[in-house]
Amino acid sequence: MKRRHWLHLAAATLVPAASSAPSRAAEAVAGGIRRGRVLKFPRDHGAHPETRTEWWYATGWLGSFEAPTHGFQVTFFRSRTGLAAEVPGRFAPRQLLFAHAALTDLSAGSHRHADRIVRWSGEPGDPLAAAATHDGDVRIGHWQMRHDGQAWLARIDDADLPLQLHMQRTQPLLLQGDAGFSRKGPEEHQASHYVTEPQLAVKSPLGEGRAWLDHEWSDEILHPEAVGWDWVGFNLADGSALTVFQLRRADGSALWAGGSWRPPGQPAQAFAATEVQMRPGRAWTSGSSGARYPLEWTLQCPAGQFMVRPLMDAQELDGRNSTGTIYWEGISELLAASGTRVGLGYLELTGYAGRLRM
Amino acid sequence: MTAGLDTGPRWADLARLATREWRHHPWRHAAALLAVALGVALASSVHLINVSALAEFSSALRATNGAPDLTLRGSGGDMPDSAYPEVALAPGVALASPVLEVDTYARQADGQRLALRVLGIDVLQVAPLAPDLLPRPDEGEDRLAALDPTRVFLNAAARERLGVAQDMGETVSLQSGSRWISLQVAGWVPAGGAPLAVMDIAAAQMHFDRPGRISRIDLRLTPDAEPSAWPPGLRAERPQDAEQRVSQLSRAYRVNLTVLALVALFVGAFLVYSVVALSVAQRLPGFALLGVLGMTARERRRLVLLECAGLGLAGSALGLAAGTGMAAAALRWLAGDLGGGYFPGVTPALQWSWPGLAAFGGLGTAAAVVGGWVPALQAQRLQPARALKGLSSLEAPVSSAGPGLALLAGGVALAFAPPIAGLPLAAYGSVACLLFGGVVLVPAVVDALMRWVPLPGGALPRLAWRRARFQRHTATAAVAGVVASLALSAALTVMVGSFRNGVSQWLDAVLPADLYARTAGSSAAAQQAWLAPDFVAAAAALPGVDRVAASRVRALSFAPGRPSVALVARDIGNPAESLPMVEPPLPGRDGELGIYVSEAMVALYGAQAGSWLNLPLNADGVSDSSPVRARVLGVWRDYARQFGSIAIDIGDYRRLTGDTRVNDLALWLAPGADLARVREAVRALAPDPAMLDFAAATELRTLSLRIFDRSFAVTRYLQVVAIAVGLVGVAASLSAQVMARRKEFGLLSHLGLTRRQVMALVAGEAAAWLAAGAVIGLALGIAVSAVLVFVVNPQSFHWTMDMVLPAGRLLALGAAVLLAGVLTAALSARHAAGRAAVLSVKEDW
Repeated sequence: MKRRHWLHLAAATLVPAASSAPSRAAEAVAGGIRRGRVLKFPRDHGAHPETRTEWWYATGWLGSFEAPTHGFQVTFFRSRTGLAAEVPGRFAPRQLLFAHAALTDLSAGSHRHADRIVRWSGEPGDPLAAAATHDGDVRIGHWQMRHDGQAWLARIDDADLPLQLHMQRTQPLLLQGDAGFSRKGPEEHQASHYVTEPQLAVKSPLGEGRAWLDHEWSDEILHPEAVGWDWVGFNLADGSALTVFQLRRADGSALWAGGSWRPPGQPAQAFAATEVQMRPGRAWTSGSSGARYPLEWTLQCPAGQFMVRPLMDAQELDGRNSTGTIYWEGISELLAASGTRVGLGYLELTGYAGRLRM
Repeated sequence: MTAGLDTGPRWADLARLATREWRHHPWRHAAALLAVALGVALASSVHLINVSALAEFSSALRATNGAPDLTLRGSGGDMPDSAYPEVALAPGVALASPVLEVDTYARQADGQRLALRVLGIDVLQVAPLAPDLLPRPDEGEDRLAALDPTRVFLNAAARERLGVAQDMGETVSLQSGSRWISLQVAGWVPAGGAPLAVMDIAAAQMHFDRPGRISRIDLRLTPDAEPSAWPPGLRAERPQDAEQRVSQLSRAYRVNLTVLALVALFVGAFLVYSVVALSVAQRLPGFALLGVLGMTARERRRLVLLECAGLGLAGSALGLAAGTGMAAAALRWLAGDLGGGYFPGVTPALQWSWPGLAAFGGLGTAAAVVGGWVPALQAQRLQPARALKGLSSLEAPVSSAGPGLALLAGGVALAFAPPIAGLPLAAYGSVACLLFGGVVLVPAVVDALMRWVPLPGGALPRLAWRRARFQRHTATAAVAGVVASLALSAALTVMVGSFRNGVSQWLDAVLPADLYARTAGSSAAAQQAWLAPDFVAAAAALPGVDRVAASRVRALSFAPGRPSVALVARDIGNPAESLPMVEPPLPGRDGELGIYVSEAMVALYGAQAGSWLNLPLNADGVSDSSPVRARVLGVWRDYARQFGSIAIDIGDYRRLTGDTRVNDLALWLAPGADLARVREAVRALAPDPAMLDFAAATELRTLSLRIFDRSFAVTRYLQVVAIAVGLVGVAASLSAQVMARRKEFGLLSHLGLTRRQVMALVAGEAAAWLAAGAVIGLALGIAVSAVLVFVVNPQSFHWTMDMVLPAGRLLALGAAVLLAGVLTAALSARHAAGRAAVLSVKEDW
């Protein structure tokens, strides 16, 4: 529920500003979410503090493609609060930074999770927490996600969940949507800038594997009717990358959808909202939260028809102690119509644990 | 042990005998029982009130402090917030939650100010460490309301006192300097205790003008790591340090009250002694008869002790019940601060403390048994055959003065002992030794006094003189109670009188001006509630104002686990005149910062004149320089601040800190100026009249002395009770002696003495003993008061005073006790002689 949660949070903090269209338009211009904006790297790996919401979202597996041992997720979020513009000092809560980390041990059947949340005044040199604007580098205490030349480095320094990942780039950047401008709703301003790094080669003390990294920033993507969000990102064994997502209404119908397909060595093909269908299959009920998640999906998209199936059911994250949200985010396999595994990646399901209270 | 076989039935028999005795003399025993009950009630109620208040205060403290593993504080009070990242990133730190503590005022609906603590917190870090400080937004408030600089969250006490409903949109005004900050109440916090407001830490820094400052960092450590090196200038406190500090606040006051209550119990033991001695004397024939019928000596003793234990148990039970009732009433009406003002804003519920109550109940019973010990021994030593013949066998051995003198010497030695665990326990031991020694010395003093008084002419006075001298060993029983109670009364009279005199002179010295205005009632709130320096100039320019002196008050923290010290920056001029110095101050030296400390600073921090003290003056965001070294030039009396205060020249203070704020104004009026008019004019200068509290010097003086008298009212009450108990003791023991002397009176009757003459004889003897008792009592009282004035007070409260002997009052007290004693003696002699005469005739065979 992270993304959804943050969207909500952003919407909530927007209340005064969003009440008038001109100010919203002004924010959109200031935030610079617009079609045709040319993304520049490494600058655009860095933070965009003027926008409302931003995340660096790494998911992946360790072990072989045929028999992965672990699934991991490391996410750093930034959210502009819209508060304290005139408040001086290091504690001025103009931004929130937060991070989630989860590790699924497929052989033990366990799923562990840790998180951090801090305020940030926007001062780039703050020793405790900051998000750099010149290149990808976001820190919360001893937790860090950093872009370094041709790699992303993640360090999660937690007593229960120590993680160190070196994620080496093997393919060019994948700019989602229209050159990185990704529509998230029927309105043009419901959009984000969305950059994906698929097929990252992972080295870590726990073993080697593959990762997928999304960097996305936006001012407003969540349509008022949307209650949740279903998303998949798969690294295929042949080097292709598949992204599919939909924004869901309360009745389960799709309000908006999108995604992309990039075979190795070819340009990415963005999917139009009408070209994508996600059909829920087998459902699973969480014993702790009682939420009922559709864990198996049939995907219909211009790249073909696929099945999505989790490698383990119990990968729910309960963030009620920190972020107040519950969501499902887990390592899954992508099956071709024939039933053979063609990809591994992550499935994210939000908005199933009842209506969110922000 | 053959006794083991028949113990059962014998105990029942003894109990039956005891109840019969009580039924025969219900009033006498009721008096003894009440005396025990009174002591137990006083002690147990003090104990319960304190336990309850402390429990309530501690739980409120835990709510606002949370349950961190460690708390870091700046050694001078607060710290720069640049220390926070360093601490949060230190190895071994799992969680770090910064807090800014601000003591200030909120504006109530009626315009008056409500003292209120504001905590600036980081809502993202506070929950695991202090869940009771986590803001709970009202329905409809944004989830980020706790980060919103325009929002504030109130606890139940603040909501109630400020009349804020659970709805949205209400605003409260909080004082910052001399402005009101208006904030919207966005929800509540569960923390109990005194009025509290919680808001975002960055907003608190901004609104309360504390840029870049925080008060503390609460830490949760990783399980196996214990970081030892913190940034310089920070010190670590365990959560129990704060509770200990609260307990320390009232400790000396509470121990003193408990000792007073134990004194009441001590007097009760004397009464038990007198009553039981009388009862044994009256029952001598009965005991003798029982002895002849086979009751052993040990059983007689057991019977008497059983009676005492029963009396003590019943008295203790009654006392515990009464003590609980008194505690409940005191908590309800006095809000549990024991009249000492140590627990402001707390209305605790009664907390049971079984170990404490059991201890006081046991003490009450023990006191009764101790009181009955000597009569029980007499019952045991009784020779049945002689007693049946009516021959007195209550012969006490003639005692030498040795033990008494040894006790007095021990008492004197103990008075010079240092405090134990910060309490004057040795001094209390000294008082007990002096009292017991004095009582034991009664016969010796009677003897010594009689040597000075020539043998009077006339048969009757001569008889009385002789008997008083030769039966002096029995005088102890008769006047012990008077000696003890008179000594206590005299001691309390002298101590309270000296203290009042000291406070009165001190008030003259510290209140030289005509009118006083202050911005805050405590040095903690003074940090936040202040006036700008131009206010002083404006006040000085008012018509009718001759001169204005301004002072700044700050709370400085010198040691963890100790209450903070008040720093008073003011015009000092000639310290010998402007401050109530204990001794003439040292001259200041060029290039040195001179300060003047209160006596508590000497006792607590060793800051005697001539020594150097590091002042942690880096608060207020003014500077983070190292502490300022200052030389103590003199020591002054401060009866207002038990935990220390420092006076510094306001010029020096401003130069060192750049802080030009003002808390207190002293105004001298021009001749003929109208005080009320000046007061209104000054009030009109304030941004809000409610921000200033005014008092004329005379009002302050009267009010202070009234508070003083009220807090010592309980000692006056104890004096009355003690003297009454002493007189009951005189009556009981003289009656016992008259009963024992009925043979003698019978003989005197045969010789032709009238009953009136016999009574005069008894009264004359009693007068001789009582005179000795009064002399001893007054002398002991003065000795004990010296211990109280010169040892107990400095050791408990760290302040000294000059001893003042109100000779007239003491003599009047002694004379009143003497007169009351002789009257009591005559009345009881008449009463007893009436019956004794009848008996003596009956027994005359």
